[in-house]
Amino acid sequence: MSQQLHQKKIGRRTFLGATVAGAALAGGLAPARVSAADRTVRIGFLAPLTGEVAAWGLPGLYGCQIWAEKVNAAGGVRIGDDTCTFEFVSYDNEYAPEKARAGATKLIFEDEVKFIMMLGGDTWPAVQPIANKSGMLVSTLLPSDLSPDTPTLIAPCEVHPIYNVTGVWWLADNMPDLKSAVICAQDDALGRPSVATYLAAFEAHGIEVRDTVFFDLSTTDFAPVMTKMLSSNPDVLCLDTAYADFVHPLCEQAYQQGFKGKIISCTADFYEKIIEKTSKEFMEGFIFQFPDFDDPALNEPQINFAEPNEFYTEYSQRWPGEWSAVSWEYASIMDLWVQGAQRVGSVEPQDVLPGMKQGGTGKHAFGDASWWGKELFGIDNALVGNWPVVVIENGKAVIKEYRSIPEWWSMHGELLVKHFTEMGEMYHQRG
Amino acid sequence: MTELLLQTCVNAVYASSFMALIAVGLMLIFGVMGVVNFAHGELFMLGAYCVVFVYADRDFPFFLAVMIGLVFVGVLGILMERALFRPVRDNPLAGLIASIGLLLMLQAAVAMGFGVRMEHINPPNQATFHPFGLEGVVVALQRLYVIIGAGVVLASLWVFLRRTRFGWALRACAQDPEAAALQGISINQTARLAMFIAAAMAGLAGALAAPLVRTYPYMGHSVIVTAFIVTIVGGLGSLGGAVTAAVLYGFVHTFVTTFSDGVIADIVGLLLMLLVLVARPTGLLGVRDRD
Repeated sequence: MSQQLHQKKIGRRTFLGATVAGAALAGGLAPARVSAADRTVRIGFLAPLTGEVAAWGLPGLYGCQIWAEKVNAAGGVRIGDDTCTFEFVSYDNEYAPEKARAGATKLIFEDEVKFIMMLGGDTWPAVQPIANKSGMLVSTLLPSDLSPDTPTLIAPCEVHPIYNVTGVWWLADNMPDLKSAVICAQDDALGRPSVATYLAAFEAHGIEVRDTVFFDLSTTDFAPVMTKMLSSNPDVLCLDTAYADFVHPLCEQAYQQGFKGKIISCTADFYEKIIEKTSKEFMEGFIFQFPDFDDPALNEPQINFAEPNEFYTEYSQRWPGEWSAVSWEYASIMDLWVQGAQRVGSVEPQDVLPGMKQGGTGKHAFGDASWWGKELFGIDNALVGNWPVVVIENGKAVIKEYRSIPEWWSMHGELLVKHFTEMGEMYHQRG
Repeated sequence: MTELLLQTCVNAVYASSFMALIAVGLMLIFGVMGVVNFAHGELFMLGAYCVVFVYADRDFPFFLAVMIGLVFVGVLGILMERALFRPVRDNPLAGLIASIGLLLMLQAAVAMGFGVRMEHINPPNQATFHPFGLEGVVVALQRLYVIIGAGVVLASLWVFLRRTRFGWALRACAQDPEAAALQGISINQTARLAMFIAAAMAGLAGALAAPLVRTYPYMGHSVIVTAFIVTIVGGLGSLGGAVTAAVLYGFVHTFVTTFSDGVIADIVGLLLMLLVLVARPTGLLGVRDRD
C-alpha cells in the first residue's frame, strides 16, 4: 500500500483528508442503511416459563422462535420505510405478580421492547400501572383482564374463557341425553371467570349444574375432589380451565373412581399422557377447545394462520411432546401485530394499537373476527370470532366444528353477564 | 351416602398415611437435632425424581426405583447432617437458613436436570379394588402401596425406638442431648442416624406417591406447609403426636373437601392449628419445655 501511495504521489495530508472524508461519507450513509433495511424490533415475552403454569408460557415461546426464524429468514417484513426483523426477549414471571412487575419494568425500560405478550391472569394487575404509565402495548390470552382502565391491553388471539361456550353448545347439540354437570376449578383468576362462563353455557343449553367445586392451587391429592364431584352423579364432568397439571390427576381419579359419562374441559394439554394413565375408551369423546395443528380442518380457506400443519410438524420435531394449548397462540398474536404495524407504518406501541383495530376487524387465526368486549369487559379490545370444538376420537384430537362466539353471545349474552356478575367477575366488580 | 362416607374414609386413610411419613421425619430431625428442616419437602421431591429417573425413564422395576429412592435420599440426609447441620448445631436459626439454601439448590438442580414441567409417571399397576365389597368404594392399588408402606415403616420405627439400643439413644438425645452425651451416647452418630431415617422416610413417601401426585421440581412446597401444620398440631418433639395429628388433619381435610370445598378445607386446617395452639400450646401430645 505504501508503495502504491508513493507511486501515485499522494501526500500524507491528501491521504488523511481523503480518509476523513471517506469515513464521514460512510458514517453519514451507515445510519440510513441500518434504519432502511436492517432494523431489529424487540418483542417482550413475559409469561411463566417455569412453575405450575409453565405449560401455558414456555410452549408459546417455542412457537415464537419458529415464527421469528421464519420471518427473519425471509428477510423480515416491511413496516413503513423499514424492513424489520424480530428478536424475542423473554422473562420468566413464574406466574408470580411481583416477578411480572419486575419483568415488565426490565422489558420496557432496559430492553426497550415495542410490544409485550403475556399470559395474563393473576400477573396482569402488577403490570397494569407500568403499562398504563409507559403506554406499552401488551397482549393477554385472558380477556377477563380487560377493563376500561387497561387501554393498552388487548386480547387479539385467545378469548378465554368466552370460547368455552362453543364446547357446551356443541355438546348440547350432539349429545342431547346429557342433562347434568358438575364443574371444578382452581380458585384463581383463570378458574373463576371460566366457571361463570360454563355456568352460563350450561344454563343456556338446558344442562343442570349440580355442583361447583373449587380447590386450592396447592392441592396434591385429587381423590377427595373427584369423590365430591361424583357424589352428585353427573352426566358431564366439567374441568373448567384447570391447569394441565390438574387436568391429568382429575381425569385419572375420574377413571379410577368409575366415572362413565363425558368430560368437557377448556384444555387437554399432553392428552396422550392422560390416555396412558386411563384408557383410550375412557377418553373417547373428551371435549375441549385447543386443536393439534396437524388437523386437516385447519387448512380450510377461512383460516388465517399460515401453514398450520407445517408449523405443527416443525414444532413437534424440535420439541417432541411439548405441544400445548398456547404453542401457536403467541405466534398468531405476532401475525396480528405485524398487520397492525404495517397498516400504520410504525412499530411504536401508541401507533400499532389503532392499526390493529382499524376497521373494527382483524384476521384472527380461526377466521376474520371483530374487536368486541364493551358489554362484558367495558372495552372493545378482544378480537372475537369463530373458535373450534375439539373432541378426542380414537386417541387423537379432532376438530369437530367451528362455532361462532358472537352468534352465541347474540342468543345468550345476558346469561354470561348474569353469571359474571354473580361471581364478581364483571370489569367493574374486580378490585 | 354410606358409600360416599366410606370412600371419604378411604381417601382420608391415604392422606393420613402419606402425611405421616413426611411429618414424622420432620419431627425426628427437629427432636434430635433441633433443626427446622425447610428442605424436607425437597427430600420428598427427590424421592419422586428417583422414580422418574430409574422407573419412568429407564424402565427398571418400580419397587427397585422406590428402594433406590429410599437409600439415595437417606444417604443425602447423612451428607446434609455432616455438611450443613453439624457445623451449626448450636444455632437453630443458622440450621433453618442452611436448609432454605439447600431447598433452593435442590430445586434448581432438579429443574436443570429434568426440566420444569410436570413428569408423567404411569403407575406400575393400574388395578383398583372395591373394599367392603361395595361398587361405589374404590381404592387404586398404588394408593394402597402408600398406605401399606407408611404402616410398615411407622410400625418398624416404633419398634426400633422402643426395642433397640439405637432407638433408646435417639430418644435420649431428643429428650436431653447433654445428659445423653454424659451417658456416652455419641451425638454425632445419633444425629446421623436420625437424619438418615427422616430423609429416607421422605424419599419413600415421594417415591411411592410419584405416580399419584404432580411430580415437578417445586412439589415440595405444598407438602412442607402441611407437614409443618401437622407437626405443630401434634406437638413439637412428639413422634406419636405427629402420627396422631397426621391422621386428624388427613381426616378433617378430606371430609371438609368432600362435603364442603377444597379451599375451605385448607382454611379449616389452619384453624385447627390455631385452635390447638390456643387450647394446648404444646400441641396434642407435646410436652412442656423444662426450661
